[in-house]
Amino acid sequence: MTLSARGLVCDYGPTRALDRVDIDAAGGSILAVFGPNGAGKTTLLRALSGERRPDAGEVTLNGAVVSGSDPAWRARVGLVSHRTGLYRKLTVGENLAFFGALHGINRDRQMAVRVLDEVGGADLADVPVEKLSRGQRQRAALARSLLHDPDVLFLDEPFTGLDPGGASTLEAMLQARREAGTVVVLVTHDLERGLKLADRAVVLRRGRRVLDTESSGREAEDLLPFFTAGGTRVQ
Amino acid sequence: MMSLRWARLIAWKDLQVEFRSGGRLLAMIAFVVLACFLFALALDRSLVPARNVAASLAWLTILFAATTGAGRTFDTEEEDGAFRHLLLTPVSRHAIFLGKSAANLVLVWIVTILAFVALTSFLGVRDAGSIARHGAVLLPGTIGLAAVGTFFGLMSRHSSLGDTLLPVLTFPLLVPVIFFGATASGRVLTERPWAEISGSVRLLWAFAIGFVAVGSVLFRYLAEE
Repeated sequence: MTLSARGLVCDYGPTRALDRVDIDAAGGSILAVFGPNGAGKTTLLRALSGERRPDAGEVTLNGAVVSGSDPAWRARVGLVSHRTGLYRKLTVGENLAFFGALHGINRDRQMAVRVLDEVGGADLADVPVEKLSRGQRQRAALARSLLHDPDVLFLDEPFTGLDPGGASTLEAMLQARREAGTVVVLVTHDLERGLKLADRAVVLRRGRRVLDTESSGREAEDLLPFFTAGGTRVQ
Repeated sequence: MMSLRWARLIAWKDLQVEFRSGGRLLAMIAFVVLACFLFALALDRSLVPARNVAASLAWLTILFAATTGAGRTFDTEEEDGAFRHLLLTPVSRHAIFLGKSAANLVLVWIVTILAFVALTSFLGVRDAGSIARHGAVLLPGTIGLAAVGTFFGLMSRHSSLGDTLLPVLTFPLLVPVIFFGATASGRVLTERPWAEISGSVRLLWAFAIGFVAVGSVLFRYLAEE
């Protein structure tokens, strides 16, 4: 399974957020996307997931064009972002049951507990989201993204606010998804952690892909020159 | 059938969230009670018989309260970015529109009942007419209000003008609903025969169905980037 993008262009008014970006993310691997603020990382994620219709170019899965307007594609996508996307007044279990039901999954409490257990949060099922810490919320959001066993998982700064325990749980979960053959696309500012986890690394700058490389053997310092125009190394 | 199931899930979730937080509903209820009280104070009943104006005042109160509530329809969706995740589920956009409109309709019905009870009490109107006939008039009218409020509630979220834009967008569209609704309710209050009311009710149903149908089709263009 391969998720590809060819010639992706996304404009916000006069600003070009993505400029003819090509990307390939293979199943059973993790693709990390890096770049300075405003490089277009989140826009790329939105275009790949189908949340935003690109102004030009296309996204394909195994050669077939996919689009956010296709419910079958949306059913195969999971997303974790720095905002949890949970309803604060509902318990974690109710949130999972709601999103699970929208994916056609049986709405029982056991299902919620089972998925929460995968992310180390089995005791959170009956707690209202508004009572959770930032790290606990992120675990619950992670559980929500895994409910429907997605083929493609997008993560936008998922480590934000996670304590060391939560971060290592997330890392273990990503490794497990990779072993299960999932396409994982990870957007992060954390170069060291991203390089450690990923099989490939892409750097975007001003909407353009300026580096696409194997991540093994790469250090954070190797990528920093690509963050600035002209490849000047950032001190 | 799947869309109706999804709509029911979304409506139930919205109502659960609303009844636990209560912010929007409390604001609507407070508005209705205060508005009805002020209308009753401002009306010189020695010049204008209360029964003749109660229906119009009730419909205006419902319109303003529904608009107040509609402006916050998507607050809980935006709070932690849940709407983004809702749109990424396989749920059809018209199911989201129908579900959120249905939840809004329940809230509008609560304030509608309150508005009629408050106004008839404050204005001293006795024998307010058949409850069934009031219901027959109010049902299509409030469906129209809820559908228009839901649609433009999302549009106003995308605008830098926010909630201030909402009345400007919704009031012109809702002129026929208010006109035929107030006319029909006024006739129910004054216990006129159903034959004089049914024409307005049919028109209210036509507007309600039209608003729901058009909103369902166009909602996806608002919801998706």
